[in-house]
Amino acid sequence: MDGATFFRPTQNWSGEQVRFMTAGSVDDGKSTLIGRLLLDSKVLMRDQAAGLDGDDDDIDLAALTDGLEAERAQGITIDVAYRYFATPRTSFIIADSPGHEQYTRNMVTAASVSDVAVIVIDVARVEQGVLKPQTRRHAAIAALMGLNIIVAVNKMDLVGWSHDRFDEVRGAFNDVAGILNIKNIAFVPVSAKRGENVVHRGGPDWYQGPTLVELLEGAPRKQSLATAPLRLPVQVVLRDGDTRLYAGRIESGAVKPGDKVRVGPGAFAATVAHVRIGGVGVAYAEAGASVAVELSEDRDLAQGGVIADSDVRYARRVVADLCWLDENTWVPGRRYRLRQGALETQALIESISFVRDVSNLDNVPASELKLNDIASVQLAARDPILADLFADLPGTGAFVLFDADTNQTAAAGMIREIVQ
Amino acid sequence: MRLAYDSERGALMSGEALETPVSLATTARLDRLEAEAVYILRELTHYARPALMFSGGKDSAVLLHLALKAFAPAKPPFALLHIDTGHNFPEVLAFRDQRAEEAGLKLVVRSVEDSIRRGSVRLASETASRNAAQAVTLLEAQQEFQFDALIGGARRDEEKARAKERVFSHRDAFGAWRPRAQRPELWGLYNRHLAAGENMRIFPLSNWTEADVWAYIACEKLTLPELYYTHDRDVVRRDGLLFPITEITPPRADERVERLPVRFRTVGDITCTCPVESFAANAEDVLLETLTASVSERGATRMDDRANAAAMERRKLEGYF
Repeated sequence: MDGATFFRPTQNWSGEQVRFMTAGSVDDGKSTLIGRLLLDSKVLMRDQAAGLDGDDDDIDLAALTDGLEAERAQGITIDVAYRYFATPRTSFIIADSPGHEQYTRNMVTAASVSDVAVIVIDVARVEQGVLKPQTRRHAAIAALMGLNIIVAVNKMDLVGWSHDRFDEVRGAFNDVAGILNIKNIAFVPVSAKRGENVVHRGGPDWYQGPTLVELLEGAPRKQSLATAPLRLPVQVVLRDGDTRLYAGRIESGAVKPGDKVRVGPGAFAATVAHVRIGGVGVAYAEAGASVAVELSEDRDLAQGGVIADSDVRYARRVVADLCWLDENTWVPGRRYRLRQGALETQALIESISFVRDVSNLDNVPASELKLNDIASVQLAARDPILADLFADLPGTGAFVLFDADTNQTAAAGMIREIVQ
Repeated sequence: MRLAYDSERGALMSGEALETPVSLATTARLDRLEAEAVYILRELTHYARPALMFSGGKDSAVLLHLALKAFAPAKPPFALLHIDTGHNFPEVLAFRDQRAEEAGLKLVVRSVEDSIRRGSVRLASETASRNAAQAVTLLEAQQEFQFDALIGGARRDEEKARAKERVFSHRDAFGAWRPRAQRPELWGLYNRHLAAGENMRIFPLSNWTEADVWAYIACEKLTLPELYYTHDRDVVRRDGLLFPITEITPPRADERVERLPVRFRTVGDITCTCPVESFAANAEDVLLETLTASVSERGATRMDDRANAAAMERRKLEGYF
């Protein structure tokens, strides 16, 4: 058999899936790092790797992920690219997010669907222990959105794998992490271009820790939400003859026939009669499952309502962190649509407590919200919303704001306190 | 499982079990992908006139199956739409009609031939690929039926421009995709809002890979057109690909026609869809081949994407799905 080779399938089919994002300042080497992960994990197909077979110094790994012509023309990444690869232990989805400030909102997008953030820092460009503003901004967003962080200290080959320079970056990042109250951080020195400590081991004797891929495989996942209080937002009410089925995805908790629940927004008591997945009855379903639930009682529950545990509370006024994503600046009095779970209602930002200045991470007073601002605000909703804190129940403690006039997605929000 | 893989021909030649094979199909991962797709499909109740793009191909077959699950026991609240290039495989069209009838959903077919007759499409030659022309016919169909949301089976793993696609992809009145104006998409709290004349393209299989699709087909025992599995077919070798010989795609004078065991990885316009050599007779076999493939799905089979690295991006800008 000419040209035949023997090997085993390397992809993992029963293991966990880790969703992670990459971030870092422009030119710190994110796209190159991802290209390296794909190339060295041998998931690249022959046609996708075509043109990459020059010697190491010539390989343009970034060309693998900078997919759009507009990006190649400018040499920067302007949009989130999703990539898929697997090691023998774990399968991964990468959300590759842009470094350029103009597109920071896409990092927020990537963070919202990720468990872990890999922040890439070019060691050669950290001077006197000062991180670039964009790196600080990314750390702040990752912290805000509750991600674990892996710092890949890149281009170590350009500084002769200097232990001191690595420690300098680590110290600088730890200072920022202290201010942001980030708990879970790991550091790894790498050269994405040369493929050292990414998938394969390499670099200096002084680093004997895990490679980047090993860190990702062992990264703490977001805690399972199956044991948290039940939140099932109703997307659509289906009918089976005279029976009404409340269909939606379980954002947290679990549900089974016989469970006593509250259905909202009125928080009326009800009993779960049946639970179906894909039209078939099941004995139990938990967070992440898309289900259709039949209740024993006839209750006033419609699209946008919620099936929840008996502890459920509703609020009309909350304190929230906002990432402003819209090119249109917020000014007082402007109305937005708020989406939480399956509910859309009107919302008003009543006051800004502060905007976080990412150059020194100070909290500064502000009267408007501009693109890329991170702010703490008080917000009022026309209809009652779930009084869930993002730190406890990320599925329903999160919301987004849509501009009622332009339909643009204006802000990502995380509920921090309940006011009333 | 140990596999013999012929890298010259890009085909799996034989396999032998080294240990008890793991179950490839029953995984929590597929449950999660299914739950996500069902969640996305249920979001479609926001729209007045949604349609699901249904060609009879494997991705659209998976999509239809998921839609039936999402709204069971009720019917999905949308029509099926197919843009027929006039160069489709007859067995795929037969499968399309049969599945639509079994599902009890209205099937709308609009044809590139009609756009050619109307003059809204002009082709360079009779046998030129009609894939790009589909965008014109699609927009015409969208306007005729006032569809405000079109559901497609595209996946992000297919191609670089697709890798940056949103699940809810907002299009202007010309159907055009503007990468810089894409809306941020957070936590599955999708922005479904449209202004007058705009429409939404929705991709519930965004996070699936080719292998996930085959694992799901195996797990759910979905039927597909037979040409997805091994069969003997007349082909010629051209530009490193196997090229199917049909009435509209005859061999060139200097080409030798061979009859080989092949299957199709994608099924599109006959003039630009090429099979691969394979003995895979069912979805499990195809899954094994997919896990060990060395050439990507579109690279192996689509002439139109090979023309230019930015070919897909350009076609998307012009309203292609």
